[in-house]
Amino acid sequence: MFIESFLQATVAGLTVGAIYGLTCVGLALIFGIMRVINFAQGDFMMVGMYLAVGLSALLASAGLAAPFVAALLVAPVLFIAGALLHRFLVSRTTGLQSVGLSADGHQAQLILTLGIALVLQNGAMILLGSTPLAVVSPLSSSAWEVPLMYDDFSTLFLNKARTIGAVVSLGVALVLFRLIRTTHLGKSLRASADNPEAATYMGIDVDRAHRIAFGLGTAVAGVAGGLIVLSYPVQPFVGTEFVIIMYAGVVLGGIGSITGAFWGGMVIGLVQQLSILVLPLQLQNTLVFLVFVLILLLRPQGLFGRSVERA
Amino acid sequence: MNNKILTRRGLGRIAVIASAAGLARPALAQAPREIKIGLVTPLSGAWAKSGELSRMGMEMAVDEVNRDGGIKSLGGARLRLVTGDCGDSPEKAKSAAQRLLSQEPDIVGGAGAYVSSFTLAVTEVTERAGVPWFTLSYADAITNRGFRYVYQTSPTAQTQAEEGLPTLVELAEKTTGRKPTRLGIVMDNTASPVNFTRGLRDGGAQKLGMQIVVDETFTPPLADAGPVMQRVRSARPDILLLLPTAVPDIKLTLEKLNEIGLGKGRLPAINNGGPMGSPDLLRVVGKDMLEGVMFITATWGNKNTQALNDAFRERTGEAWITQDSLSNYAHVMILRDALEAAASTDRDKVNTAIRAMDSTTGAATLFPGGRVKFDERGRREGAALVIAQWQNGVPVSIFPADSAVAQPIWPRR
Repeated sequence: MFIESFLQATVAGLTVGAIYGLTCVGLALIFGIMRVINFAQGDFMMVGMYLAVGLSALLASAGLAAPFVAALLVAPVLFIAGALLHRFLVSRTTGLQSVGLSADGHQAQLILTLGIALVLQNGAMILLGSTPLAVVSPLSSSAWEVPLMYDDFSTLFLNKARTIGAVVSLGVALVLFRLIRTTHLGKSLRASADNPEAATYMGIDVDRAHRIAFGLGTAVAGVAGGLIVLSYPVQPFVGTEFVIIMYAGVVLGGIGSITGAFWGGMVIGLVQQLSILVLPLQLQNTLVFLVFVLILLLRPQGLFGRSVERA
Repeated sequence: MNNKILTRRGLGRIAVIASAAGLARPALAQAPREIKIGLVTPLSGAWAKSGELSRMGMEMAVDEVNRDGGIKSLGGARLRLVTGDCGDSPEKAKSAAQRLLSQEPDIVGGAGAYVSSFTLAVTEVTERAGVPWFTLSYADAITNRGFRYVYQTSPTAQTQAEEGLPTLVELAEKTTGRKPTRLGIVMDNTASPVNFTRGLRDGGAQKLGMQIVVDETFTPPLADAGPVMQRVRSARPDILLLLPTAVPDIKLTLEKLNEIGLGKGRLPAINNGGPMGSPDLLRVVGKDMLEGVMFITATWGNKNTQALNDAFRERTGEAWITQDSLSNYAHVMILRDALEAAASTDRDKVNTAIRAMDSTTGAATLFPGGRVKFDERGRREGAALVIAQWQNGVPVSIFPADSAVAQPIWPRR
């Protein structure tokens, strides 16, 4: 009985955690690299969820794969949207333009992204209404059943939609890691993150790097949203339910670390689901933040953060 | 400055016109050509859909009354519906009621406001103005305040909690020939499920000969229902009270129930409240997931409402008539009967007519219990529960048997 509960909670934690991880990676690109406190990140995810619902309806002929293809197709759309948003709005409060603004432009960024969030939420409310929408797929209500050998009743259920979603999340995150680690583009992103001024002297177009980072962060949020909407209906205000977890994950993993953000999300998923073994169900999220506070007390730079002062 | 004076002058003019209208009213009351009835309900915000459905029900009733010659005892006076929007808070609900009553001072009666806390606020206003007011809201407090003009046509929350489970046990026994003994509860910690289940844990379940074998309460929203439903699976209850109130949690728990092989009615799952019968759930959760799920509600389409249901569908394009539309349709019909009996648009006379009413025909047949007679407090006597079940993508009433449209699907084990 306990073993079954433990395994089931671990599986739930891993699958939930992988998707949380992806949402955190999206925020880490924006918050970690560009130091933009982005309140609208959850709402980018909401836009991704709506897009995925629409796209998977269009792709219905693709059968069971449709929702996942739709989730990936959200990426280019939101990349462009994010890059444009950066070009025309966010760039005015970041990078070299923020020199001379109070608190390095953070206050202006806060107000700007909060404004974007409000516009997105209420825009969705006007256009799409408050009725929740979801991708209805047989995959989200069926499972691969793994019988546990110690008796003939206990079974481990691996929800198909969630398991595939977790694998896709992991894949997208890995592609991003490689992009950041090995490509020229990744190097310019990292250089712009570490020291924008020095990067400019090295001939890197910091503004462009930030634009790409913002686009990537938005696109990743959209893909994550597309995967979540398989099991979680979307309504205009759904973003606020996830944005706190994103920030917790990024800080937990260590600000500035993309890998760290993924593991931060994973830790949150695992703690949230495993808490059911020791605590009443109602307190699921309480334990998440208890662990969060503990880690900040013992390791303030986060799990993967470097404890160096930025220049 | 100039503007202000103009506005004041404008206001003065309006006041003059308004008082003239007030003076003219007694004359009009002799042979009114139009009788206004009010609806105060959420027409924006999270409950907008329910409010919209309420309005559809009332409009349909008003059109039918007018088509059939209006109020005959008042020379064929026609009904007209005027509405106020509650928005998303009791404060807004209260000011919506105040605004409506000041803009339309000659309203003879009305209905609203869906959410119990809104109804409590709205009826504070309507009671003071002496407007007979009908509601489908459940809270006991609505008719516990000694009000004389407020009528509750649904069974109250406490009645539902007390009668819900015994009714289910009886239904299970009748259908399967076997009394269920193991009860499971999975719910969120919002007010409605907490109140609904409180009595069960304090010995209510035991009195029915039932043992609570799994009892899980979560804080919405759930991230994954796996671990919770796995406990349900291990505990093997005979009946599961599945009481999430948020749509995402309804989806997660139902999908998980199917995934672990207990869906489609194999483990009878029962929710509480009309929203579980919303056509919108079809799009979000899907027909297969909903199959076999039951819910307890105050009214639902039954044998007596089939013609009404068809007319409603044709008129509105909605998939079926819900509790909101049905109750409010009936509220208009009760008001019509009261107006006919009172032969006056005087609110007190209408109110007296409602108090004197004891009918088992017309609007009464639309309610479970089949009777329109209100007690001292304004509660409908004999207000009973309906149980409906999703069968083939449509929620159909399965209890009480005399008005049920379909047989319950209850697995025999």
